[in-house]
Amino acid sequence: MSIELILALTTGAALFGVGIYGALSQTNLVMIMMGVELILAGAMVNLVAFWRFLHPDTAAGQMFVLIVMTVMAIEMAVGFGVAIARFRSRGSVEMEEAVELKG
Amino acid sequence: MTAQMFFIGFFGISAIWFGVVVFRTFSMVRSALALLFSQTALGAMFLAMQAEFLGVLQIMMMATEMSIMAIFMVMFMMDPGGMGTMDMTHQKRLSLWAGFVSFVGGVAIAVFVDWGPIAAIAPDAAQQTIDLGLEILGRSMLIFEMAGLTILTAMIAATAISIPELKGKQQ
Amino acid sequence: MNLILIIALLAVGSYLVAVIENWTIKGKFRLAAPAMAAMAMLGRESVLSHKPDRLFFETAPVLLLLSALLAIATIPFAPDLIITDLATGALFINAALVYVLVALLMAGWGPNGAYAMIGGWRFLGQLMAYAMLVVMPITAVVMRSESLLTTQIVMSQDDLWNIAYQPLGFALFFIASLALCFLPPFDLPIAKGELAGGVEAEYSGVRLAVFRLGRLMLIFTLAAAIVVFYLGGWSGPFLPPLAWTIIKTMTVAVVMLLAGQLMPRIREAHLLSWGWKIGIPLALINILIVGFLVLMVP
Repeated sequence: MSIELILALTTGAALFGVGIYGALSQTNLVMIMMGVELILAGAMVNLVAFWRFLHPDTAAGQMFVLIVMTVMAIEMAVGFGVAIARFRSRGSVEMEEAVELKG
Repeated sequence: MTAQMFFIGFFGISAIWFGVVVFRTFSMVRSALALLFSQTALGAMFLAMQAEFLGVLQIMMMATEMSIMAIFMVMFMMDPGGMGTMDMTHQKRLSLWAGFVSFVGGVAIAVFVDWGPIAAIAPDAAQQTIDLGLEILGRSMLIFEMAGLTILTAMIAATAISIPELKGKQQ
Repeated sequence: MNLILIIALLAVGSYLVAVIENWTIKGKFRLAAPAMAAMAMLGRESVLSHKPDRLFFETAPVLLLLSALLAIATIPFAPDLIITDLATGALFINAALVYVLVALLMAGWGPNGAYAMIGGWRFLGQLMAYAMLVVMPITAVVMRSESLLTTQIVMSQDDLWNIAYQPLGFALFFIASLALCFLPPFDLPIAKGELAGGVEAEYSGVRLAVFRLGRLMLIFTLAAAIVVFYLGGWSGPFLPPLAWTIIKTMTVAVVMLLAGQLMPRIREAHLLSWGWKIGIPLALINILIVGFLVLMVP
């Protein structure tokens, strides 16, 4: 049982928790995206910790982190695209006002 | 207590602290830059875990990403300077509980699962970079290409939905 | 030991860069001019604007200084004269230099002034244009040296300097580094004529001195990086390695400072459209050519 591993995993869990809180509690699209970024950051810490402390000889662990970084970038690009489109048609990106998405 | 343990703990705590600051400050630029410093602390934590390439890459990529976040915050928020201290949250109690439960669950898994033998030494940084390069251009090549293609698709999609409609005039 | 020597080099180099900058702008070569200007600046009051974001306002100049300092840490001045020979050195230089953007955003947002803010956000747009042109030529350099170690990059140029091996990459990187240290014609964030100093507008006294020092160090760092990536670093006949690095770095700095004086300031929209429509395709072609040369030509 390694304390370093547990420290890193706890950091990951804490970032994940903060991210969940942010993504659920904020009303602004951009702030929600910040929460999602934190969730992905938590996942990344875990992946690096698993790579370092459990399987340092397999490069696939590092590869996975690169993929998560890609996901972050894609999430940003598409999220801001949606935000711009929404702002242009409705004048705000407040999610409380997006009631028409309820159907 | 080893140096590695200290640095992992230190950068971990600063990453969490900045992560909390993101949702506690009223100034939107501060919020975005707090997220940047949270991610930078994570990059330093990767360095402490001897993942040199990933750490440097994280530090580099996040600076640009979060700066872009900052300008979008300023564009889209009603009160970007945070002078008016307006409340921008909803369902606070539920989200606090959700965040807390997922944190406790994560810690419980981290503590109670038997992770098996811990590797003592990682390969040195130069070797890691070589391994990662061979991995990307070998076994994981298809995945990496797919990631690149997905980014291209996302770029086109984001541009397509965000350009304004042409109102009957040639550009 | 290396650390002290390189800091001393950096200090002297930045001072010389200041002398040269003064010379290119005013037309007179005066060795004492920067020292006088610095003394005058330190003597003045450091004014605080109305309702500033103090945290950003104070951090920005220091962060600018710090990013130049971190970038110099992986630049070799002689075979053994390097602060840390990181295994990811070429990438680390990029990572450190991106924080120039963060510093300028902070300096733009912090003082609560319109000109400063416009200058700060302008630099973000400028980054969109030049960022790829910094990274992709470095990719081509690394392809030739087959290593991210900066010392390895210098040694890979023993036979032929990269400026001859990949002139296209050199041209792109040179232009991108002009944009990175916001020298004319890319001085959009501090545009003297139209923004009254831009991000520098609200700074005065000691803070302005730190800001200017950071910028001078940035120019010196970029010149040294160009020397390492394209001009064969310390290699050269007769003289000792360190002398060659210094001579080349100062030459590059002179060219960097002179080049911009001859051109009008570029518009942000033009910079972006040229950067993406011309710059990035050229950088891709450069990578292709270098890949061909590395694989086909022994």
